[in-house]
Amino acid sequence: MPGSREARIEALRGRIAAIEAGTRTPTPVLPFGDPRIDSHLPGGGLPRAGWHEVVGEGLEGESGAATAAFAALLARPRAAKGAVVWVLRRSDLYAPGLVNLGFPVERLVVVRVRDEAEGLSVMEDALATPGVSVAIGEAEAPDLVAGRRLQLACERAGGFGVVLHRRPYGGPARGATGSAAFSRWRVGRAPGRAPPDGLGLGPAAWRVALERCRGGRPGAWILEHSEADHGPHPFRVVSELADHDLAQTPPERLRRAG
Amino acid sequence: MAAKRSEGEGVSASAETSPSVAFGDTSPFRGRISEDPPFALLVSERGTRRLAAVDAAAAARGLSAGQKAADALALVPQLVTADHDPDADRRALESLCDWCVRFSPAVAVDGEDGLLLDITGTDHLWGGEAAMLADLLERLSRWGVPARGAIADTAGAAWALARFGREQAVVPPGGQREALSRLPVAALRLDEAAQAQLPRLGLHRVGQLYALPRAQMAKRFGLSFTQRLDQALGAAGEALAFRRPASPWFERLAFFEPISAPEDLARVAADVLALICKRLEAQGRGAKRFEVVYHRLDGKAFAVPVGLARPGRDAVRLAKLVAPRLDVVDPGFGIDVITVHAFAVEALAQGQARIDAELDAAEALAPLVDRLVNRLGEGRVWRPDPVESHVPERAVGRSAPLAGAASARPWNPDLPRPTRLLKRPEPIEVMAKLPDDPPLRFTWRGRHHRLRAAEGPERIGQEWWRGDFDDTGPGKIRDYYRVEDEAGGRFWIYRQGLYGDDALPKWWLHGLFG
Repeated sequence: MPGSREARIEALRGRIAAIEAGTRTPTPVLPFGDPRIDSHLPGGGLPRAGWHEVVGEGLEGESGAATAAFAALLARPRAAKGAVVWVLRRSDLYAPGLVNLGFPVERLVVVRVRDEAEGLSVMEDALATPGVSVAIGEAEAPDLVAGRRLQLACERAGGFGVVLHRRPYGGPARGATGSAAFSRWRVGRAPGRAPPDGLGLGPAAWRVALERCRGGRPGAWILEHSEADHGPHPFRVVSELADHDLAQTPPERLRRAG
Repeated sequence: MAAKRSEGEGVSASAETSPSVAFGDTSPFRGRISEDPPFALLVSERGTRRLAAVDAAAAARGLSAGQKAADALALVPQLVTADHDPDADRRALESLCDWCVRFSPAVAVDGEDGLLLDITGTDHLWGGEAAMLADLLERLSRWGVPARGAIADTAGAAWALARFGREQAVVPPGGQREALSRLPVAALRLDEAAQAQLPRLGLHRVGQLYALPRAQMAKRFGLSFTQRLDQALGAAGEALAFRRPASPWFERLAFFEPISAPEDLARVAADVLALICKRLEAQGRGAKRFEVVYHRLDGKAFAVPVGLARPGRDAVRLAKLVAPRLDVVDPGFGIDVITVHAFAVEALAQGQARIDAELDAAEALAPLVDRLVNRLGEGRVWRPDPVESHVPERAVGRSAPLAGAASARPWNPDLPRPTRLLKRPEPIEVMAKLPDDPPLRFTWRGRHHRLRAAEGPERIGQEWWRGDFDDTGPGKIRDYYRVEDEAGGRFWIYRQGLYGDDALPKWWLHGLFG
């Protein structure tokens, strides 16, 4: 019977998960609030301690505007208390823009570094400090060794890290290397919908693709910035994209989240 | 507060060997004063060559400063001469002043040939003021700089005793009145008019001036007369321009053998920091800035400053902050003295760690901020603070990460602002239907963007109170638009200037929205 077969498969899955977890307590996760995203992440959300990568395409690889906004919103629930350290090479981060996104700028510490190795080392130092809850860094491509050190620093002090891939002064892009991050997100802008009263611009929208995730599945969505509580994260799924949709312009019909 | 103890030293005007001998300068006259032929410095004054200074041998032969060079050479044919170089003398005196920092952090250059040191709180390291003065003068004479010195409560009294008193006078606290009474009037640093008139009135000694009515003397000789007298006696203060700010928090370690290995340098820095931190702790204080100075054998000094975000006195932490900066120290032949000064000393309560310590956020962040600031520099770590200004690029200021909350009004969260603001707006070419409409398409960096939505304009005027009167005008008004192109990218562009003026308004891209 299909019903009991489903129930048996679920039971088996639960037992496998229990065996895999062993005596470890399940890590607390921060869900997105929408099952279309949470089903792709292990445990139903982003883990509390760990670091993630955010990559932009085209002009975003150099200017890093959409990636910065996405990273700020991704880290915002974790930044509710504790200090936030933003490590950058080119000081064009505009604080009033972060205030528009609801980011706590009064607890923000900005560090300007000279090169990538220094930036990753400062980020590791910040993540290992107990008072720092979120560290966001702009680097070109952290290699496996640096990534592993960031992960260890996160686990030691429970910090949340985000690395934005950015070449602030242009230059040729290096090919994608292996990564020790928990997840890698590819972010680009998407046309937003019209605002309710028809004047001006509506909420910002991004085309977000989860490229790789440790223990999860890749996926792609169009996310919109929304402050109503659909979950701890200020995102609202506008639509889910199939793989082949990434190459084209976004779909014509945008349906509301159910 | 105890009276300030000052030490004055003067190089006697008759032995003008250059003090730069102490620093490896290739002056050929080093250390051979006694067997040299008589030596004088010449200066050209109003067309004639005159003697600027003479040494002891020349003075013994009857020469004096101010004489004509031709006369002097006729009197003493074997006179050796050189040109007077006041700049080099000044620089050498300043180097000597820096060298004296090993005795006390507060050293000031006095006139052309003297130094004033404020030795409050430092004499205990030599076992007394007399011993300190003897050591200082002995070291100076070893370098070939003969000097006279004196210690007194006030700078004025020390100056007087160094130049006119007996050798190496140490005046007990409060005893300057009696010590000065026997000195000639010239010891008070009066101006020339007073100096010339006082002997004519029969006033040759300072002691005779004590009993005179002050108001009449001030009227006759000027206020500076009474001021100088008060400064010498301690009734009035005197402002000295120290090379470094005076600080009684000073510790010093001297070594039998000069050291040069990096591990030794780090170890002695830890030792001397432990000394000063123990003293700070005994008094319940902490300091925000420490400066560890390594003094080399030949007199050169290397300073390693360390700053803390919060006042502290943890020697281990400070030593860890000093260790990475030691590569600026070049030991040369060896370091023989290390000193540490503490500045910005404040009271620091004894904090007791709780068992269930929930770290105060700022306390937990302070070590990280200290490490970053000391490693990268102060200008590279900041917290963005609101500045009350409409102009976007001026609306954000930088402040120290652990400073108190900003006093200016916070930014308005309703005004749309970009996530990235370009430091220099980039020019774009724009096509718009009507002058006041938002644009339909623009070209930036060679790429065309077709716009599907726009918001604005937000008019940001010029801060007319900042610039010149002629600079103000409608040409500087900016109308900002928030635009979205067909791919979804959002830009912040503005039009500078108004249509209808002489010059065509220009369009710029200022920022990118996330």
